[in-house]
Amino acid sequence: MHLTRTATVRTAAAGAAAVLATVALTACGPDISAPAESSDPNVLQAPTEESPSGEITIWDREGDLFTVFENTIAKFNEKYPDITVNHVAVDIDAKLQNTLITGTDVPDGVFLDDARVSSFTDFLWDLSDVLEPYSADIAPQKLAVNTAADGIYGIPFDLDPGLLYYNEAALTKAGVDATQIETYDDLLDAARAYQEAVPSARPIHLEQAPFLAQLQLEMYANQLGTSLGDEAGELRLDSPEYEQILTFLDTVNDEGLGTRAEYLSPTDIGELENGNQVFYPWAIWFSFAPQQLLPETSGDWRAMELPAWETGGARSGAMGGSSFVLPKDGENSDLAWLFYEFLMFDEAGYSAVWGPNEVYPNGLNTSIPSYLPAADPATPLFGEVEALGGQDLWEVATSAGAEIPAAGPIPTWWGGAVDYLGNDLQRMLDGDLDPAEVISQSTEQIQTNLIDRQ
Amino acid sequence: MTAVTAHSAPTPRRRRLSGARVRRLSAPYVFVLPFVAIFLAFSVYPLIYTFRLSFTNWRGSGAAEWVGLGNYSYLLTSPQFWSSIGNSTVLWLLIVPIQLVIGVVIAVLLNSATLKFRGMYRIAYIVPFVTPLVAIAQIWIVLFDQGYGAVNAVLGLFGIPEVGWLTTTMWAKPTLALLFLWKTTGFIVIILLSGLQSIDGSIYEAAAIDGASRPRQLWSITVPLLRRTIMFCVVLQTLAVFQMFAEPYVMTQGGPYNSTTTAGYYLYNHITRADLGTGAANSFLLVILVLALSLGFVRLLRAKD
Amino acid sequence: MTTTRTRSDRVRSGLSHLFLVLLLLGFLGPVIWALLSSFKQPADIIRYPLLFDPSTFTVDNFVRVFHDVPLATGFLNTGIVLLFKGGITMFFAPLAGFAFAKYDFRGKNLIFGAVLITLMLPTIVLIIPLLLQMKAFGWINTYQALILPGAIDAFAIFWMRQVISAVPDELVDAARVDGCSEFGIFTRIVLPVIRPGLAGLAVLTIMNIYNDFVWPVIVANTEQMATIQVVLSGLASTISGNRVGADYATVTAELLAASSVALIPLLILFMALQRHFINGILAGSVKG
Repeated sequence: MHLTRTATVRTAAAGAAAVLATVALTACGPDISAPAESSDPNVLQAPTEESPSGEITIWDREGDLFTVFENTIAKFNEKYPDITVNHVAVDIDAKLQNTLITGTDVPDGVFLDDARVSSFTDFLWDLSDVLEPYSADIAPQKLAVNTAADGIYGIPFDLDPGLLYYNEAALTKAGVDATQIETYDDLLDAARAYQEAVPSARPIHLEQAPFLAQLQLEMYANQLGTSLGDEAGELRLDSPEYEQILTFLDTVNDEGLGTRAEYLSPTDIGELENGNQVFYPWAIWFSFAPQQLLPETSGDWRAMELPAWETGGARSGAMGGSSFVLPKDGENSDLAWLFYEFLMFDEAGYSAVWGPNEVYPNGLNTSIPSYLPAADPATPLFGEVEALGGQDLWEVATSAGAEIPAAGPIPTWWGGAVDYLGNDLQRMLDGDLDPAEVISQSTEQIQTNLIDRQ
Repeated sequence: MTAVTAHSAPTPRRRRLSGARVRRLSAPYVFVLPFVAIFLAFSVYPLIYTFRLSFTNWRGSGAAEWVGLGNYSYLLTSPQFWSSIGNSTVLWLLIVPIQLVIGVVIAVLLNSATLKFRGMYRIAYIVPFVTPLVAIAQIWIVLFDQGYGAVNAVLGLFGIPEVGWLTTTMWAKPTLALLFLWKTTGFIVIILLSGLQSIDGSIYEAAAIDGASRPRQLWSITVPLLRRTIMFCVVLQTLAVFQMFAEPYVMTQGGPYNSTTTAGYYLYNHITRADLGTGAANSFLLVILVLALSLGFVRLLRAKD
Repeated sequence: MTTTRTRSDRVRSGLSHLFLVLLLLGFLGPVIWALLSSFKQPADIIRYPLLFDPSTFTVDNFVRVFHDVPLATGFLNTGIVLLFKGGITMFFAPLAGFAFAKYDFRGKNLIFGAVLITLMLPTIVLIIPLLLQMKAFGWINTYQALILPGAIDAFAIFWMRQVISAVPDELVDAARVDGCSEFGIFTRIVLPVIRPGLAGLAVLTIMNIYNDFVWPVIVANTEQMATIQVVLSGLASTISGNRVGADYATVTAELLAASSVALIPLLILFMALQRHFINGILAGSVKG
């Protein structure tokens, strides 16, 4: 009796469990169906009231930039007194994806690396309409990285033009005039000449961190009007442009003309200070180094446009940069639009961001606005940079920025590609691969592991 | 502990379920009920969800595309997946044996009643665990810098050429292992110490009388008695080593050349790149792997008896 | 029995001390570096990591930290979670461990399997569904979300089962025969015997909860709800990974200062635990 009853109970329990499991299995989990076409993107409309009111939550990364934006809020409220800005410092990389996917506590506006915008377009407002009055005046490269097939998803923030930083004092002492450099071939010649004068020198910086090296690669590619992914998200690594760039880097390496180090690591800084490393083709934000980290050579450094790949070619490409995105699930994203519109396109706004403030008494000089009227070479927002010998960095950067060609949007798999292209590039610099191998290997791996599995 | 004199068992009562018996039979259920309740409330839904997810290709938005075993077969045939398992295995070999040996030695030393500053040592050894990893990674990167780091500077004093600790595939794993050892050994010492403190001291007295030296006591008495605790630590750290992702993330980003891409870091990448289905599949594969390894250890160490 | 300390005893003792001190330096060294560095100018930290010139020391980083970073709230929140989640684990984990160790019951393996799965499945994978659940309950940015999911640490159960299974069955049986209730056996026989294990569990539970970062940063990171690790991670995100960006020196400095400050309450807590709880409890059972 005892046994039978147990057996019955057990069977019943098993049956119930099975039913429960089936129900659970079908109920728990993401919506599974046939691959759906992407839903129509929703296009954001600007608020039309006289004085819109409400509260907006804005996410920014912790740091000096946070304080800069914080200080702009007062100015913003002068124009829109009824909008309360709840400005929060957040670990955006850790939190944003989960927040958007689960729709929990979604902010109204978020600061985001350009490289990540394309990953989230499904969650963001299409800004084509609200940006329309301004888009003709925005740097083409920034607009392109924020544009997906079906709309524009980010408000471009900073343009980070690539520049050639060089140690003028050391070069002049060695009899090399860097200002004569116009092409990368010229740069090679200058490096060779410098090395003759200073035998221990490895004049040109070669980046050792895979991610940054890939970012720098894209800067070079941007100059040539290309990028890893085209508008359709197809890989175009296998091209003469990338071949040319990789060959250049390979040459620098083979001839012993390059210092291989991670950006601003102790080795990097050491070699910058002792005159062995005198050419640093990098985004404008390298300016941080002479100002803060290179006390011995502070004042020796200058910035100029990048060399071109061919005579007459573009003398700058973008490296890095961020934008602002507006999640569709945000409560008052249209008000957040007003905030960013003010910051980016209103003179009071962009002067507050780039101009002198309590955090940067000389102004924010690690980037320039992507809004061309704000980036007028003749009207600097930040002051001359002492660490660059009092150079008018603004003029150099904005002129360079104006030359940046449009490239493609940054594909969603760009970050993942570092495992393949980033590493293969480093292998090439180790001497294990040649440029053609880098291209064929990376293309195959990116295609198989990233693109095909999208 | 004093020996317990055995009471003679009372004559078993027939079939009547006495109150005591009911309490005894129901007690374990009551005791585990809180855990079960929390598990049912907060773990079942995520588990089933993730399980279901592992059979799909989902990027976080819209509908998920059913791919059946596609994610699993991708992973099991992916060189990157296996190399991440291989990396974790090598790290395991670098970490676990050393950590247990050092851990036991430290625990034994700290267990001594006569050791001065015992409390200070105990606290000091657990500080690494609670220090934010990112702060520590900074110093590791600086200390082990190839050209200008202190470690190479010291080696240079002995005429040893500089080593690319974090930039060569040969040395990145040991350097990472060192970081992990630094961070977690204190945790293991606490567990071992608790195990030690349950051992009756009179055994040592008897052994000392018999003329056994301290090291011999350690080897022949302490270690065998600690066997179960040590086994527990092995299982725990096996799990930790394979799941490790924060350390490679802040220090090497899985490099150089994915040599420090641990199983956990490889998994983490799927999630951050919104390849959620593959991430789910990956995590289940990892569970199976760790479970198999743990059972293997348990069986191994038990067989020695 | 008197034992004279032989020469080899003294040598061994000396070596032991040396070993312990070296390890101490090794374990504390980086932390002391972090503490000292937080008094340096931010740029100096990056430029000259190993140079300490007291004449250039400044408290700016700390001032900035106290001004910018909500440390007090972080401590408060961590404290609350420690109290509740720690308390729940400290009470229910040994109880569950006792059940697994000393009882045979139907479904035991199944439930223990659930414990194992909880232990072995990486948290990062479960976040999305768990977050959806929290949203459905309305628990985003609440203490419940920080305390309840995983309130009874699987590791704790796992370990307590381990520890309690070493308790001789005779003790348990004898108590039962003496008429002790099951729960009474737990409180009066098992708990006292496993005191060292409990002490260790207390320390480890505190460490684990204090360190917990993956889940709290996702579910509760408004300024009011952030735990101390979440606060610190906010600083860290600017510098970890790729060092892209301009102000990572100042943020590094802030992070080091904040980390140093964050350690202090924990150290005080442990020292208090040491003195009043662990040492006292262990006084009766220290051997060797």
